[in-house]
Amino acid sequence: MEYIRLQEKLPPKEYRSDIEPTWCPGCGDFGVVTALTKAFSEERLDPTAITMTSGIGCSSRLPLWMNAFGIHTAHGRALPAAVGIRLAKPEVPTIVTAGDGDIFSIGMEHFPHTARKNFDITLVVMDNRMYALTKNQTSPTSRHGYKGSLNPYGNIEDPFNVIKFAIASGATFVAQSYSGNPKHLADTIQAAVEHKGFAFVNVLSPCPTFNKVDTFKYYKGRLIDINKELGHDPSDMKAALELASHVLDADYPELEDAEPFKGKRPIGIFYKVEKETFEERIAKLKEKYAPPSGEPDWDEILSQYKP
Amino acid sequence: MAFDLTVKYAGEGGEGVISAGDFTMRAASNLGYEVVTFKSFPAEIKGGYALSQVRMSDEKILSQGDGFDILVAFNGEAYEVNKPLLSKGKVLIWDGPEGGDFEPDLEELEKMGVYTYAVPMSKLAKEDVGAYITKNVIAMAAVFELFGFPMEVLKQEIVKKFSKKGQDVVDLNFKAIEVAQNYIKENIKKIDPYKVPGPLPKKDVIIVEGNEAIALGAAVAGCKVFAAYPITPATTVGNYLSSLILKTGGFVYQSEDEISSMAAIIGASFAGVKAMTATSGPGISLMQELIGLASMTELPTVIVDVQRAGPSTGMPTKHEQADLFAAALGGHGDDQRIVIAPKNVEENFYLTIEAFNLAEKYQLPVLLLTDGSLSLRAEAIPTPDVKKIKENLIERPIVKKEDVKPEDLDHLFRYAITESGISPMFAPGVSPKPYTATGLEHAENSRPRTTPNERTVMMDKRFRKIAHVEEENPHLVEWDLGDLKEGEKADIAVVAWGLTASIAQEAVKRLREKGYKIAALYPKLLYPVPKNALEKLATMADKILVPEASYLGHFARFMKMFTNIPQEKIVQFNIYRGEPFIPKEIEEKILELLGEKVNA
Repeated sequence: MEYIRLQEKLPPKEYRSDIEPTWCPGCGDFGVVTALTKAFSEERLDPTAITMTSGIGCSSRLPLWMNAFGIHTAHGRALPAAVGIRLAKPEVPTIVTAGDGDIFSIGMEHFPHTARKNFDITLVVMDNRMYALTKNQTSPTSRHGYKGSLNPYGNIEDPFNVIKFAIASGATFVAQSYSGNPKHLADTIQAAVEHKGFAFVNVLSPCPTFNKVDTFKYYKGRLIDINKELGHDPSDMKAALELASHVLDADYPELEDAEPFKGKRPIGIFYKVEKETFEERIAKLKEKYAPPSGEPDWDEILSQYKP
Repeated sequence: MAFDLTVKYAGEGGEGVISAGDFTMRAASNLGYEVVTFKSFPAEIKGGYALSQVRMSDEKILSQGDGFDILVAFNGEAYEVNKPLLSKGKVLIWDGPEGGDFEPDLEELEKMGVYTYAVPMSKLAKEDVGAYITKNVIAMAAVFELFGFPMEVLKQEIVKKFSKKGQDVVDLNFKAIEVAQNYIKENIKKIDPYKVPGPLPKKDVIIVEGNEAIALGAAVAGCKVFAAYPITPATTVGNYLSSLILKTGGFVYQSEDEISSMAAIIGASFAGVKAMTATSGPGISLMQELIGLASMTELPTVIVDVQRAGPSTGMPTKHEQADLFAAALGGHGDDQRIVIAPKNVEENFYLTIEAFNLAEKYQLPVLLLTDGSLSLRAEAIPTPDVKKIKENLIERPIVKKEDVKPEDLDHLFRYAITESGISPMFAPGVSPKPYTATGLEHAENSRPRTTPNERTVMMDKRFRKIAHVEEENPHLVEWDLGDLKEGEKADIAVVAWGLTASIAQEAVKRLREKGYKIAALYPKLLYPVPKNALEKLATMADKILVPEASYLGHFARFMKMFTNIPQEKIVQFNIYRGEPFIPKEIEEKILELLGEKVNA
């Protein structure tokens, strides 16, 4: 099930549409657009074959800024729409771009199922740890104590560990990156696009307008590369789960010095495994049951219904 | 007088009542008779009251009929439920005189003129065959023996059904047949007048159930992605399609919920293939937002709603036609949808294909409204000419790279404003110009727009697509005028849709035979409302009876809302008991209305 690809690389800018993003100046999501165009270029993807889907929210507008096919769906429904594309046309690379509220709140039911079925989908979540388009409410990834418009006294929930959840759900590629590190982000997204199977990249992507806690300034000097600095081997699921358990440690002052991240935010590929995709399994079924001509023997089919 | 016989098996769910009906239906069809079944069972897997009714005739059968001629009561509950329906000339076969759990009042029944036969089904199955599970075979064999069906035909059906399970299973069933035959020969003297006249010339038919016909229609129409979530009574559409669609290169996908199903068929349609989902009331409620997305993004999608009694969980296995408002107008905002409804199993097949054609033609979601009773109804329908159907399918005219000159690309827009409202269709991997389909209001080039002018122009464009659906598809309205000419004065007019239309059709036929002039219209197109046909019908009579199996009577209210028919002409007749109408009650209602007219 090879993707439709170009013979020659296109420059990254060819993957941008001429629509200017409606994002605020300084938004972390700009970095994701740049990284995606680089990855598409490196992978020689054909703009007339790429299909992106998204839901609702600031980051979900992303497909509109791209020179690629896209469906800007309803809130939370980017993944099942992507599934439909995968079922219909596996030769079309399918990229989902979304926000943390869209995927992990309203669209939460779809995440584990799409992951465990191992559809060949790249999911890039721009995680600003809150809802921005509706002007600052807490999301499932917001810090404990974060002040949103519906809880001005501070979030009484604890944040959701999406990395651990993704691994537990059966995603075959799980990574975290940061929109302030263009090189790491581009490399990670490219690795995700290249991966055959469900690839999830959680991008720490600050919202400069509303989130005054998880800012570029905050992340500066607080990132740790689990592959390069800690030598983590992504094929080791046990180690991946152990590391993933500590992803949110830095949220809690009492864990400031805790191993393995010592108050830092981890980036890198946590887990990666090769596994047959859902599309490959469908292809096998079709090979077994569909006649080579593509058109079944209708007389034979109808004869089964005769009295 | 035509031969017209209805056999009803009634008992506890899980006792083989349903399969007894199936076997009898297949045997009758094998003999060349027309068949229509009616089944009903509880939502639970085992237990509860279940019935399976088979109507057979040497003439075309329109509906399930008024009731039964022959009742086979498997237990006391079945007898009690059906006792009020026993009347002069009917036959009761009951589980007795020993071994059963009840005893009918035989003297009273005899006085009423009911013919009764005691066949100890439970006892014979347990003691003589040695397997209680064969109780339904004993019941069937009794029916065959008593009413002159060739036993060979039943045996053939048993071989067909059970040979895979092994010769011992076939032998056991054959033994049950023999036991029943012997018992009847030795103990029962036939006193009733019913007898199957003998085999008729064989017709080229297929036997399909309602949901099976939808699955078959979808496969023939070229549906490549079917995404659904299990829900009674729609699940079996997917069951029937799952293996079949693989042979056509498609796939049945079980999604995590109905919202996902709808999203998945939108994705598949965007990618360029025909896609469908099937659900029931609760699923339709969940899908509303995304049906709106399909409408806004102008993506052809087919949504089957096998209606059940609502609201909420309602009565999942019971009949109702109360989803029309939800199907047509259930979304937020002004969206564009087409709603069509079949009235029998044959139309289930052809209207499923029609649904795909309409979706492709108008680039929008098409909802096919059927119901639980129709989903289970089996009919022998003329074998479809697949080759001919395929020649007439509407295939999506996707703009291809090789068809567009580079200089024309700048003027090629996915949502181009056109006179018909229908714009060029693109798909990834095929078309030269990417676009993002968005649920946001957008311009011709698919970019989000909110200016008053652009909004108005785009809304008008989308609504232009459905402005003339009735005129462009006259075959979606079925006139039933008898000897009347269009426009000629009738005693009364009738409008009915869905399964109710097939029942109304039988009532109308009977009244015509009695000399009444009735003008009837059975719209397959429910929304946009076929205004012209309805208004024309209204000129033919002073009253229009609209029987509907819902409390509100959705279509009658659509007639009041979307046509210029004087409100007082429209007479609603609503039932909401969870069962379909029977022809007799529509017949009586019409007579009652005509009586009023005479008295006035």
